[in-house]
Amino acid sequence: MSQSSEQQAKDVILDSIADGVFTVDEDWRVTSFNRAAEQITGVPRREAIGRNCCDVFRASICEGECALRETLGTGRSIVNKAIYILDAKGRRIPISISAAVLKDADGRAIGGVETFRDLSMVEELRKELEGTYTFADIIGRSPSMQQLFALLPRIAESNSTVLIEGASGTGKELFARAIHNLSPRRDKRFVAINCGALPDTLLESELFGYKAGAFTDARQDRPGRFAVADGGTILLDEVGDISPAMQARLLRVLQERTYEPLGSTEPIGVDVRVVAATNKDLGKLVRKGVFRQDLFYRINVVRLKLPELRDRREDVPLLVERFISKFNRLQNKDIVGVSDETLAILMEHDYPGNVRELENIVEHAFVLCRAGLIEPCCLPPTLRREADAPSARGKGPRTLKSLETLHIADALRRHEGNRTAAAKELGINPSTLFRKIKSLGLNLPHQDHPS
Amino acid sequence: MFDVAKVLLILDLNGEVEAGRQEAAIEESDPDARVRRVTALGVDVLICGAISGPLDAMLASTGVRVISHTCGPVEDVLRAFVAGRLPDEAFLMPGCCGRRQRVRGRRRDGRCKFDTQGGTA
Repeated sequence: MSQSSEQQAKDVILDSIADGVFTVDEDWRVTSFNRAAEQITGVPRREAIGRNCCDVFRASICEGECALRETLGTGRSIVNKAIYILDAKGRRIPISISAAVLKDADGRAIGGVETFRDLSMVEELRKELEGTYTFADIIGRSPSMQQLFALLPRIAESNSTVLIEGASGTGKELFARAIHNLSPRRDKRFVAINCGALPDTLLESELFGYKAGAFTDARQDRPGRFAVADGGTILLDEVGDISPAMQARLLRVLQERTYEPLGSTEPIGVDVRVVAATNKDLGKLVRKGVFRQDLFYRINVVRLKLPELRDRREDVPLLVERFISKFNRLQNKDIVGVSDETLAILMEHDYPGNVRELENIVEHAFVLCRAGLIEPCCLPPTLRREADAPSARGKGPRTLKSLETLHIADALRRHEGNRTAAAKELGINPSTLFRKIKSLGLNLPHQDHPS
Repeated sequence: MFDVAKVLLILDLNGEVEAGRQEAAIEESDPDARVRRVTALGVDVLICGAISGPLDAMLASTGVRVISHTCGPVEDVLRAFVAGRLPDEAFLMPGCCGRRQRVRGRRRDGRCKFDTQGGTA
């Protein structure tokens, strides 16, 4: 067998392996790089061959604990070491690696071989099960999300009560979990409870627990969610929906950090960080007299307002990519992405259900689309009808110009006609924005103020 | 990889002239602590190899200009930066063609930091 056909045979064998495999020579230059390695790292083989392995592989251990270096130094193989790499798009990919020495016929070390397995799906499932989300799991490059990212770690470090406001599907629980997992309390429990879903009596026993004999069928003591979350964080979701009586009980816990289980007269001290979430305007509820002002002030120590998806449309492509990656893993499919026309439809939709709605749309498309790109025909019928109908925004075919119009109009609406602020958000000069407003024939909002 | 780099090379530039350089340890593993360390060092521009998306975004939100996915001998990269030639395909990491972001405008004077891991800039 000639040398080139031998190399071809090796490539075929390596490409048939589901795990990533690459080899290096004694100078740490990549000498082979299989197809799975290309897929996991996002680096094409032609660009990887001949390059320094740490420029290609970008692993968390490259700097100080290189597995190949250790293997070549000790002669011992490394098996299934859990690390992470950054792929070509800057995404953190959890992998397990094994490394071994490559030797020639005389037993002389001529390089090393590393195999690695993508653990993203395992990690995804683990996160779903354990809820160990961090800020890295929150997707968004829009200015409004950037501001939240900048705040999040500082909020997490503090021990203050946090109020998260946002419409349904904006990710309130994800933010609450990220705050907990970034905080010094992360080793303790995160407990979430939907206050709006339970009647008063049940909510009371769920939150504070009960003593044996407190009511019929209460045969033994049962700890409440506050007790379970002791030392950790409790998320009180839909806090705007609780009754005045429960508001009074919650106020006492927040003020005195003690509570009494049902059927007990002994107060129990508790060390819990409270994160409250609501899709309502609590300030408005206070003014209407249905939410206690003193409780509002207690929970409104640090306030996070999560933007609706229609106010950060520029994040739609990133989110779509993330959901496609997630469903590809969960459903073992190979959807490459969305077509331009599909993306245009997704960009124009108003998402009353926010990120959750977008995720459902992508999941719907996965049912109808087997491989390749997601085309408009795979989208839910309501979305297609919306796209086919003459739009309220007055757009014809989806063109670059129509998307530009949409972005500029959204930015102006968000900043109530403030052109300087809108231009800053869009990353263009105010005079350029003014020219575009004129050329696109946009009407400024009524509360126009130029700067 | 900036996410785990332990040492940073900090250069003070006065126009195109190097006014000083020093190494700074960066032990923090928490992304927010790393960002705080970078900003505390008064850095305007960070030149590094790989960097995770969230960390890149956090640095950008604090006003630090990130020139990522850069590799090659430190001095060569530095010369290219001072000459205003970064980003340059010659110093681009494999797999990163055409995905430079937020690297527009002219180089400003100020502090510039290099992630010095493994001999790459």
